Amino acid sequence: MTPDGLRARALVLRALRRWFDANGYLEVPTPVLVPSPALEEHLHPVRADGGFLRTSPEFALKKALASGLGRVVEIGPCFRDREIGPWHAREFTMCEWYRVGAGLAEGMDEVEELIGVAASALGVARPAPIPRRSVREVFEATCSVDLARAAPDDISGRDEPWDDAFFRRWVTDVEPKLGTTFLFDWPASQAALARVRSDGVWPVAERFEVYVNGIELANAFLELTDPAELRRRFAESNAARAAAGEEPHPVDLDLVAAVRRMPRTTGVALGVDRLVAVLMGWSAITAP
Amino acid sequence: MAYQTSDIRKGLKVEMDGHPYVVADFQFVKPGKGQAFTRTRLKSLLTGQVIERSFRSGETLDEADIADANMQYLYQDGDGYHFMNLESYDQVAIQPSSLGDAAQWLVEQMHVQVLFYKSRPVNIDVPNFVELEITYCEPGVRGNTATGTTKQATLSTGATVQVPLFINQGEWIRIDTRTGQYVERVKK
Repeated sequence: MTPDGLRARALVLRALRRWFDANGYLEVPTPVLVPSPALEEHLHPVRADGGFLRTSPEFALKKALASGLGRVVEIGPCFRDREIGPWHAREFTMCEWYRVGAGLAEGMDEVEELIGVAASALGVARPAPIPRRSVREVFEATCSVDLARAAPDDISGRDEPWDDAFFRRWVTDVEPKLGTTFLFDWPASQAALARVRSDGVWPVAERFEVYVNGIELANAFLELTDPAELRRRFAESNAARAAAGEEPHPVDLDLVAAVRRMPRTTGVALGVDRLVAVLMGWSAITAP
Repeated sequence: MAYQTSDIRKGLKVEMDGHPYVVADFQFVKPGKGQAFTRTRLKSLLTGQVIERSFRSGETLDEADIADANMQYLYQDGDGYHFMNLESYDQVAIQPSSLGDAAQWLVEQMHVQVLFYKSRPVNIDVPNFVELEITYCEPGVRGNTATGTTKQATLSTGATVQVPLFINQGEWIRIDTRTGQYVERVKK
């Protein structure tokens, strides 16, 4: 990183911490070295001395929530293996926060406010109000495909698993045209640790992501609090890992026990390095 | 031979759906909840058409059966354009449809790169700059070196280019074959 790049990151980190403090969030440092690294099948942890480097502080922060702490935030390093490119780094800075009692709409309000806070700290223009669209609506508009009814072959022209078809078309045709937008109501198969509901047409994960200038900056869940469903999703992910020739991840039983005591909460994870890079107009996650 | 997605680089030649392509551009992409992909722009080595394809990590790509040879242009007849391999002295005839715009710059003895797909010649690369004689143009206007004003000239190969007004019939000029544009007058 160049000195100017490091200064830009420092300005944003200070502004984020001030905002969280002013809004009643407690900053909770949780372990970086963890026994259970992630639920999601497509996250590959870095191994470390019998354990793993965390892919996000999610599990530890949820246990903190279950203990009755209220609003919590953590800003710190996270690690994801096999992700290297202009917009990926094995080690990156995550800002993850949980707002007790809030739904996804309030989460989007907070993300939008924080992007503005970071822009002000950097002395750059705040983005215009960010549109909020469903994944199904965007896919229909871009590809003329109705996800609620489409088979894999309709989506990608291939006979392959549904999620493979979705993401193949997503990265090829949808993502490059997204610009700046919130995206909510994701396919239920991509729920991770979010609740699933039916929108009347198909089951959707109660999640949102935000893209700014075509770059994915944050992901949010209306958090799953059903221990049986969480266990089922761990088993499902590990089965998918086994089928792909990958090692299973240890199931975090403390987390399974803790989610039952979690209040209704929206949790958001935001990539700080990407936020800085996008607002500064860099063409990669690090300063030019 | 099969390539992994991590082998993808600009210039890599791959075969897909029975068609050879060269990688024009690529990027690693990984949606937060999805698999990693390499998004590519592929240019057809037969037609020049560009397509976009994304390959999931773990998928493989076939190597295109593509070879280059240094050859010399000999002559043209009813069977096509004839070239000789400068190492093996083998000769091949290439149909005009495979040569595209390149045919208009060919002069006898010229050295070119011939692209073979499955041992069949499918395309040629002519030098970036060629020097050709003007066989017809309107008479030159002496001293008129104004830029921006041009006239059409026909070259010894039959190609036509726009040239400045001071250029005369019988003179030789240098042309950039990538753009088809006049570069400068040359003394012969």
